[in-house]
Amino acid sequence: MFIARSEYDRGINTFSPEGRLFQVEYSLEAIKLGSTAIGVATGEGVILGVEKRVTSTLLETSSVEKIVEIDSHIGCAMSGLQADARSMVEHARVESQNHAFNYAEPLRVESCTQAICDLALRFGEGAEGEESIMSRPFGVALLIAGYDEDGPSLYHAEPSGTFYRYDAKAIGSGSEGAQAELQNEFHKSLTLAEAEVLVLKTLKQVMEEKLDSKNVQLASVTKAKGFKIYTDAEMEGVVGRLPTN
Amino acid sequence: MAALFSGAPPQGGPGYSFKQTPTMAPSGERQHGFYPYTDNGGSTLGISGADFTIMAGDTRSTSGYNINTRYAPKLFKIGGEGPDNKGARIVLSVVGFAADGDALKERLDTIVKMYKYQHGKPMSVSACAQRLSHVLYNKRFFPYYVHAILGGIDEDGKGALYSYDPVGSYEREQCRAAGAAASLIMPFLDNQVNFKNQYEPGSGTGHDLQAKVAQPLPRDTVESIVRDAFTSAVERHIEVGDGLQMMIITPNGVEETFTPLKRD
Amino acid sequence: MGGFDFSNHNRNAALHAQGVPLPKATSTGTTIVGCLFDGGVVIAADTRATSGPIVADKNCEKLHYIAPQIWCAGAGTAADTEFTTAIISSNLELHALSTGRKPRVVTCMTLLKQHLFRHQGHIGAYLVVAGVDPTGAHLFTVHAHGSTDKLPYVTMGSGSLAAMSVFETQWKGKLTKDEAVKLCADAIQAGIFNDLGSGSNVDVAVITAEKTTLMRNYITPNVRERKARNYRFPKGTTAVLNEKIIKKEEISKYVTVHELEDDSVTATAETMDTS
Repeated sequence: MFIARSEYDRGINTFSPEGRLFQVEYSLEAIKLGSTAIGVATGEGVILGVEKRVTSTLLETSSVEKIVEIDSHIGCAMSGLQADARSMVEHARVESQNHAFNYAEPLRVESCTQAICDLALRFGEGAEGEESIMSRPFGVALLIAGYDEDGPSLYHAEPSGTFYRYDAKAIGSGSEGAQAELQNEFHKSLTLAEAEVLVLKTLKQVMEEKLDSKNVQLASVTKAKGFKIYTDAEMEGVVGRLPTN
Repeated sequence: MAALFSGAPPQGGPGYSFKQTPTMAPSGERQHGFYPYTDNGGSTLGISGADFTIMAGDTRSTSGYNINTRYAPKLFKIGGEGPDNKGARIVLSVVGFAADGDALKERLDTIVKMYKYQHGKPMSVSACAQRLSHVLYNKRFFPYYVHAILGGIDEDGKGALYSYDPVGSYEREQCRAAGAAASLIMPFLDNQVNFKNQYEPGSGTGHDLQAKVAQPLPRDTVESIVRDAFTSAVERHIEVGDGLQMMIITPNGVEETFTPLKRD
Repeated sequence: MGGFDFSNHNRNAALHAQGVPLPKATSTGTTIVGCLFDGGVVIAADTRATSGPIVADKNCEKLHYIAPQIWCAGAGTAADTEFTTAIISSNLELHALSTGRKPRVVTCMTLLKQHLFRHQGHIGAYLVVAGVDPTGAHLFTVHAHGSTDKLPYVTMGSGSLAAMSVFETQWKGKLTKDEAVKLCADAIQAGIFNDLGSGSNVDVAVITAEKTTLMRNYITPNVRERKARNYRFPKGTTAVLNEKIIKKEEISKYVTVHELEDDSVTATAETMDTS
């Protein structure tokens, strides 16, 4: 079985007899190695949270950028190969700016997610007349949070190019445990402040290190303020509100 | 031999008998020109109200002193479903070079329909207006030879009207006339829609007299202003006539009417 | 009789070279026709005068008097057709006086072509000359450069092709007067509706050995419809910056004054007294 599998590993766009694309499946594995990222959507806005793995005491934690802005009303958290995320985010930023330029209105969150996923499948040899831009699938998953005319929304985009909308979603190494926790704790009437705590509480459970205000990062997307990454002071505030146990 | 002359005033434009300047004597080199544009005449106008927008245009298509057809619509529904644009809420009017007008309409219609597929919602007039500006400016050095007017209902339910020059400069307005008889119709609209040069009787003396302030007009008033504008333009402009096509855009949809005009 | 004044020619040529455009003349972009019948000749014209694409006159007269039994329909530059026919009319009258005979159509045609040829096409007059003289009924066309034709039915002007299409499909020999009038009117209407340079009404002139009948506005197929709205402004709509009162008695010395009674009637301009 294992030998048969490796033959179909060579062609990046080649189906196995069982109908699987192994390289795409492997890319999903890469995400499971990544740090945990969580998103929770409430009626007021969306909260994104990530753990920063502080591998050395000499690491400047502020240089770990796992939550980035796409546009003033859209942001995303990532898990997996961060370098791959850079080019996806760059694509989303261009797409968002082009939309604003052409239509004088903000890009919808779903359209932004679709634009990112369109890029996800452009690996392999490339179609006739179209230049191939990647030799392999992306090794990163994104949680895309935004606020548009339909209110706040949260999307999960995978390297396979599929995406779904979630009320709450966890990705990365601790995702299984975290998703179970979110399943239990999430309800439709969560406030933004409650969501902040829920995200950190869930992260805390799945993190190997002890959670503090330096090794996690939060961001929010609201109607009033758009996308905002929490400052150190704001982080300390939320961490302070965590129940102690 | 008399048959050499058509008996008509010099051709090459509608009757500019003095316009023919002495052409250069052939000096060896033969020059070739490419003239991709023609003027197909006609006129259009648009007026926006509180909760509606009226677009109108005559249906005559001309070249020189000839009538190509008495029914060539200059108003097009943009977006909506299928080739009949069912359920459309945006109307584009184009006057000038008819082939460019058709091409522009086709392009914008495709864009608006694709937008709905891509973003899962119908395009707003303001977004469509911005996009049309880009479509025009993209051909800055080989322009669509048209004066476009875009009408619809904005996100607040108010009548919206945008007018364009051939290379994409645009502005939201209360009313606009375009095309051959624009110079005849626009001053009439200024006076009757925006009440220019009208003062409130008895509101003061001399320079203190208060100007009559413009307010959105009711629909039947606007419709009769449009009719009068066109029946009058037909009287004094040779390229305007045959039929009047009107589209009234309301939040409930687009109503289309056709009224015959003089055919001389 | 001084002919033309060319004293501004050099100045105008210099201005034109610097890009100053020439003044635009009113042209009768026109349909005019003529047709012989048993016992006379009919000519007809539309009544539109244009300046570029603008209608300068909706009901102008394009049938010009030359002599009691000789009339002329004119196309081209309005001023040229008017002055040329007037000059030739005047000369023909003098000629009739000195010879003591009725003027002949062929004489009129000859004077016209000599006048136009002398000016090498710069006088933009395209004419249909028709009349009855002691030698019979005659019909000619005269072009601006001086060439002429003698035919049983003729058309000229920008609507000449539309009009000729009617003649070529419906004309037959030995027409009666009424048939000829109908044929000419139909030809003019073809021009009115299919040529943008022509429009408004049909004028017809019937010339027989006995008399000339000018039927001004013989057909009016383009009457303006009533406006949908009333455009009377309330009194005080226009700012009055200063005022000087002239009494009605004083003003009636210069113009005729009509009292307006009904407010619903659109105001009509006061007519100038030309006496």
